[in-house]
Amino acid sequence: MASLTLTHLNKTYPNGFTAVHDLNLDINDGEFLVLVGPSGCGKSTTLRMVAGLETVSSGDLHIGDQRVNDLEPADRDIAMVFQNYALYPHMTVYKNMAYGLKNRGESRADIDRKVREAAQTLDIEHLLDAKPARLSGGQRQRVAMGRAIVRNPQVFLFDEPLSNLDAKLRVQMRIEIKRLQQRFGTTAIYVTHDQVEAMTLADRLVVMNGGKVEQVGPPIELYEQPASRFVAGFIGSPAMNFLTAHLENPTTLVLPNGQRLELPQAVDHSGEVMLGFRPEHLESCSPEQSDFTLSVEIIEPLGADTLLYGNFPDTDTLVLAEQSGKARFHSGERIPLRFDRQRLHLFDPQTELRIT
Amino acid sequence: MVENRPWLTLTRHILLWLGIAVISLPIWVALVAATHPTSAFVSGILPLWFGDQAVTNLVAVLSNDGGLGVSVSATRMLWNSFVMAMVIAVGKIVISMMSAYAIVYFRFPGRQLCFWLIFITLMLPVEVRILPTYEVVANLGLLNSYAGLTIPLIASATATFLFRQFFMSVPDSLLEAARIDGAGPIRFFKDILLPLSANNIAALFVILFIYGWNQYLWPLLITTDEQYYTIVMAIKRLMTSDNGLIPWNLIMTTTILAMLPPVIVVLAMQKLFVKGLIEQEK
Amino acid sequence: MHDKSVFQHRLLPYVLVAPQLIITLVFFIWPAGQALYQSFLVEDAFGFSTEFVWFENFIYLLSDPEYWTSIRVTAVFSFWVAFVGMALALLLAAMADKVIRGSRFYQTLLIWPYAVAPVVAAVLWLMLFSPSIGLLPFWLSKVGYQWNHLANSVEANILVIIASVWKQFSYNFIFFIAGLQAIPRSLIEAAAIDGARPFRRFWQIVFPLLSPTAFFLLVVNVVYAFFETFAVIHATTQGGPGNSTKTLVYKVFEDGFIGLDLGSSSAQSVLLMVIVITLTVVQFRYVEKKVQY
Repeated sequence: MASLTLTHLNKTYPNGFTAVHDLNLDINDGEFLVLVGPSGCGKSTTLRMVAGLETVSSGDLHIGDQRVNDLEPADRDIAMVFQNYALYPHMTVYKNMAYGLKNRGESRADIDRKVREAAQTLDIEHLLDAKPARLSGGQRQRVAMGRAIVRNPQVFLFDEPLSNLDAKLRVQMRIEIKRLQQRFGTTAIYVTHDQVEAMTLADRLVVMNGGKVEQVGPPIELYEQPASRFVAGFIGSPAMNFLTAHLENPTTLVLPNGQRLELPQAVDHSGEVMLGFRPEHLESCSPEQSDFTLSVEIIEPLGADTLLYGNFPDTDTLVLAEQSGKARFHSGERIPLRFDRQRLHLFDPQTELRIT
Repeated sequence: MVENRPWLTLTRHILLWLGIAVISLPIWVALVAATHPTSAFVSGILPLWFGDQAVTNLVAVLSNDGGLGVSVSATRMLWNSFVMAMVIAVGKIVISMMSAYAIVYFRFPGRQLCFWLIFITLMLPVEVRILPTYEVVANLGLLNSYAGLTIPLIASATATFLFRQFFMSVPDSLLEAARIDGAGPIRFFKDILLPLSANNIAALFVILFIYGWNQYLWPLLITTDEQYYTIVMAIKRLMTSDNGLIPWNLIMTTTILAMLPPVIVVLAMQKLFVKGLIEQEK
Repeated sequence: MHDKSVFQHRLLPYVLVAPQLIITLVFFIWPAGQALYQSFLVEDAFGFSTEFVWFENFIYLLSDPEYWTSIRVTAVFSFWVAFVGMALALLLAAMADKVIRGSRFYQTLLIWPYAVAPVVAAVLWLMLFSPSIGLLPFWLSKVGYQWNHLANSVEANILVIIASVWKQFSYNFIFFIAGLQAIPRSLIEAAAIDGARPFRRFWQIVFPLLSPTAFFLLVVNVVYAFFETFAVIHATTQGGPGNSTKTLVYKVFEDGFIGLDLGSSSAQSVLLMVIVITLTVVQFRYVEKKVQY
């Protein structure tokens, strides 16, 4: 088990494309760190640099106290779970799990004990003699996990390991991965583009965009205090609504429909701002108390919740409101809504950074 | 089948049987001819049914008691053909796998150049460079030797491309997983790539064995010593007889011996071979 | 986007490509270069001195009516080998593809000539067509036709073409079968629902979809007819009667090894190389186009 330090890490490809730009991260021993972002944001490249599958263009990479920039992947004491599992198709499950140990020159007896232990942990003992082609997606996923834990490495690396599974299995394996990591206490870096997966797994979350880190922090912090409009829009499901509004003075916000909102704290900005509010932070109320009235165009009843879509008054901006599933709505209905004043987010329209 | 049209189905079967009959006719006649004494061919027309001399002819050919137009026995020539076909097939597979591995899994200065040099050999079949290649082999002292029979034919762009294609279709993540598991280039090749290529190797082996076995022009040029004759190239020699009487029965026995090994290989590995052949188009 | 994962090693890749590269250089590139060089030389009658003559060999060759005869013979021969071979193979492949019962059995019985050497094919057909003992001349004489390919150039061509087609048939057949099997069933079914009868379906749906395969085979067959049929000709007609079956490759062989005319043979080799390169480029152009689909 070890901590990791990434210092001024850069990755530029021969064609000039910079995939990762000046990345700085300290990962604590035993921490579950999730890298999340849209495709092409540099999260996978970062992971592959840690694994040693991709060279580091500049900067330093430390695992524990050792600088590993120039070490072969096998010498970094890491294990990786690939998106397509990368099981050796011609080897049995047993041999797949044993291969890394064998290459390290461990004794036959040690290998056997470790493989069986790992198989037991993952409940795949009955599959040890099967070849990967015969396994279901979930089983392959387990074997890939088994290949990682059998070596008892310093760091687990996960490269979108659940994205090839169906939705139900994904949830199940998500829980399992979390459980295993907690049990072994191994440092883990996990790459995903799925923000729900990211939120549920992470001790700390790193949101990346365009090769740069947007924000680092515990999931709930990113949800409550997104540092930029990008993080605000990326974290949370359903996604945050955005409106262009106007600051009349440091505590008064004017909405496009002319409604004035008194802010709980004065902000350090003036003029045009981007107002962000989450669908779940809109509550229905009496017309007198309301901030705006939503004429409902589309209703998505999900059971526990109901999602209502409609344009914000006097704009073309589609707004989504999440309401309790108990209430009944119908299309065309006009619903008075009120913002949760404590949970409004303001962003600078130019820099897209949070205004406090 | 979309619909049922009995007359159409019948036509199909009839046409197929006709095709098979035409395809098989020469073989039938060859088999029949191989069972008669030489005298049977003087009368003017090929016999249509089997005679009783099959074993006699076979023994005559295999031991060559003098009836053949050459001084070696068919046994020796079969052995020569076998050596030639095996060395060419195995040699081609080995060296083209090696070079394909280097080209796909390494980045090194001169890689493009190597690729193009190999690629060019596609455009230089032995038939277009007969004389100069002959001179090279003669200068190296390889006339009338197994080395001379095989080595100049062993470089193959086709096999290299086939392996290159296959290696490129192996997911990158497999190599990455192996590297994390501590496998270097040799170990990755031996433990992962080689077993995964087993089917391709087998299919290619069939094609290349046949290619080697059926070589004609090349052995014709570089063997003057009859000890190195291959059975395929010798057939033509057998037809030049001194007394004007062509020993069709012995020629046909030899011919059947010459085509039996490759035909058996094809039929035994039909499925793999067909698949391997079709890969070449891609 | 990632770097393709590769190994870092200074020496190993060179060791790996060395065998192939050395053989290629010694037995392919060097002789080809020699052919090119020698095509610019003329040797005197006794082989004592050589003279650099630029394109004289080529000019001489291209003004030699015999060379043009050979070109024409090769063209006609290639056309018939490719056309007949592919047409028959397509016909039988279309039949075998539709047959439900025994499809595999038919295929087995039709693909084995692939394994037969061209010279073996030649000898088999030579016997069948032998004017003295052959079955076919015997049958032909019953209907009043005297067959003698040793004297009649058309008959000599027919013999060579039949033997060549017989040997190449299986190759074409295998590819057409594979091409047919690659056509989605649903397309045929859609055409059937649209009311297209089997023959119309074949020409309007199946045939266009097979055209990439057919084109590939066309190139392969032409290459085959150019080069690999040397054995057939050598074993049957040896270019005769007259020069009626003397193809370009046969002529290179004859002028080089029997006539010992180094300059002319080299010049012919160079022209053949140009032809092969053209065919290869055409084939690769087409492969590239196919990739873009």
